[in-house]
Amino acid sequence: MIKVEGLSKYYRLGTQGAGRFREDVRHWWRGRPGPSSNGMPTTEAHIWALRDISFTIGEGEVVGFIGKNGAGKSTLLKIISRITRPTEGRIRGRGRIASLLEVGTGFHAELTGRENIFLNGHILGMTRQEIQSQFDEIVDFSGVETFLDTPVKRYSSGMYVRLAFAVAAHLMPEILIVDEVLAVGDAEFQQKCLRKMKDISGNKGRTVLFVSHNLQALSNLCQRVLILEKGRLADSGSPAAMIARYLREDCVQYLRQAYDDPSRAPGNEHIKIKRVELIPSYEGKEELIDVRTALRLELEFWYDPPGSTDLDSDRDLIVGIHLFTLGGECIFDVASPRTSLRKGLVGGSCLIPAHFLNDGSYYISIVFVSNTTRRLFYFESCLSFEVADHRENTAWYGKWMGYVRPDFKVQLENHNSFTHV
Amino acid sequence: MAKEKEWEWEWEIDPEYHWFKWELGAISRYKDLLFRLVRRDLLANYQQTVLGPFWILVQPVLTTLLYWIIFGRIVKVSTNGVPPLPFYLSGIICWNFFSDVLSGTMYTFITNAAIFSKVWFPRLLVPLSGILAHSLRLAIQLGLFILLYGYFYLRGQLPAPGIGWFMLPFVLLLTGLFGLGVGLILSVATAKYRDLDYSLQFILRLWMFASPVFYPAAIVPAGLVLWFSLNPLTPLIETFRALCFGPGVIPVVYSWIAVGTVLITLIVGIALFKRHETSLTDIV
Repeated sequence: MIKVEGLSKYYRLGTQGAGRFREDVRHWWRGRPGPSSNGMPTTEAHIWALRDISFTIGEGEVVGFIGKNGAGKSTLLKIISRITRPTEGRIRGRGRIASLLEVGTGFHAELTGRENIFLNGHILGMTRQEIQSQFDEIVDFSGVETFLDTPVKRYSSGMYVRLAFAVAAHLMPEILIVDEVLAVGDAEFQQKCLRKMKDISGNKGRTVLFVSHNLQALSNLCQRVLILEKGRLADSGSPAAMIARYLREDCVQYLRQAYDDPSRAPGNEHIKIKRVELIPSYEGKEELIDVRTALRLELEFWYDPPGSTDLDSDRDLIVGIHLFTLGGECIFDVASPRTSLRKGLVGGSCLIPAHFLNDGSYYISIVFVSNTTRRLFYFESCLSFEVADHRENTAWYGKWMGYVRPDFKVQLENHNSFTHV
Repeated sequence: MAKEKEWEWEWEIDPEYHWFKWELGAISRYKDLLFRLVRRDLLANYQQTVLGPFWILVQPVLTTLLYWIIFGRIVKVSTNGVPPLPFYLSGIICWNFFSDVLSGTMYTFITNAAIFSKVWFPRLLVPLSGILAHSLRLAIQLGLFILLYGYFYLRGQLPAPGIGWFMLPFVLLLTGLFGLGVGLILSVATAKYRDLDYSLQFILRLWMFASPVFYPAAIVPAGLVLWFSLNPLTPLIETFRALCFGPGVIPVVYSWIAVGTVLITLIVGIALFKRHETSLTDIV
């Protein structure tokens, strides 16, 4: 049970910290308070990260938060986690909180996996007894038992994340706060984590507050979704309705994602996304995607084939493109032929022809499969777009039925002449 | 609204700071983390070095020998009739404990910024774990001191250990708590003002020269004794030596002033630390 009332958070922008000692002393010397005192200076650049947020979360409820970057989701979770203090308002609650704003907080590179399980577990608020009683499960879940006594600095990034999440997944709080931590690890492990999250929230009756860009996960896990917009609570309701609204209003045209730095790009040790982009060839003068617009999907990614052998089967890659309606129904699933690729930057493209999709909102997920069976990475809901209607030669303006709207020719002609008797 | 029943809220987060809510209960709830942090500190520091845990002893031994050569043989500073080796070692052990605790604590917010911005736990655990880890090092160094003392006792150069030895832990506890208190105050300052770093290192070095580490308080000119003794480390180190080697020259009243100073520093330190522990997360 959490009750949030009139919560606001104010941040000063600009240079903070370094070198302010002299400045503050000077202010003090002149006999007026420095800018660091509690008064809110109006002259300085500032931002309300949160503005007058109020909501209540019941016991055992699983609530998701969505919103664009900078909408205040993380700030909200940080305040509830007691990491930072609100400027106004208050939060009251019942039940022990554990927050998971990052996996592997406090992991020490020099220490062994075993040591780090305990260290990380304690930092997250578990007692020694709680960790010991679940130690085998944690190790089992992580799948790193053979490296348990190896310093984690020798772990691959995948192993590191798996161990870190394994500890977190066995937290036993009454209220769990999770911020976008599912976006790590390979696809298989992500599925495992989702199942575990579902187990925690569903069967164990815990209250969960959950921030994610993974809309699929949100709609699977949450009973209620809250939308944040520029620090304010914009709406709340059922996951399906909120996700639809979010996609409709916040990222109607999410036509491009590009990353220059592989370390910041989405993906994992095998696949790192450099760019995914939908390039429309607009029909009319306006830049509007309508049913006549062909869309060209282009993608570029860094590829590091799994397995150390030079066998072709290990380097084989299939890229599949899934197109969904906002409601989550898959319209198509097309895939490239299996292609043997070397390590490095890979490009690909696919054309969604004109006169194919009906008007509506769609999103695209891209799957990367190795050796025809092993899913390397699933880039979920990475692009979204809206197709507008366009009609000619008709006076009827009702909703055109169907998911697809092909331009198949339907012809009519006179076959016989009838005469009225 | 009418059907909303009065919940018994267990916790509340609000913008106000409560000066004397120190959450000592939370610290006891997180005691497992406290000991784990001590363990991490010791494991991470000594697993990687060639000498391993021996480094705890190497540093004071080498420093003692260095002082013996420079201050005992070359500069010829008096040790007040005490054999030079135990004299220097006692000063070094006390000073190191103080300065290790202090420098371990004063960067708490900077070195832990990554953790502090991601998860909540009683922040005081970090400095507390520091003082515990340094206490273990201190215990090992004291073992060395006792061996050395025994050697000089057998040679008849030092008196037999008296009842005063039981006071030593209290003296050392005060020394550590003083380092903790000053460190807590400085941890807030270093997080707020990054330009303080160099001056603090410099001040810490001067402080050592102003404390009777490699010279006895007895050689301090009468005119300076008052100022000299207001530094709590002076009565603390001198008391340590007096308890081991025989009566010193620092009047008892300064010891009581030192006790008061240490406690006030500690209380101010904890209060300041608690006051700023969350707001500093926004800056660092």
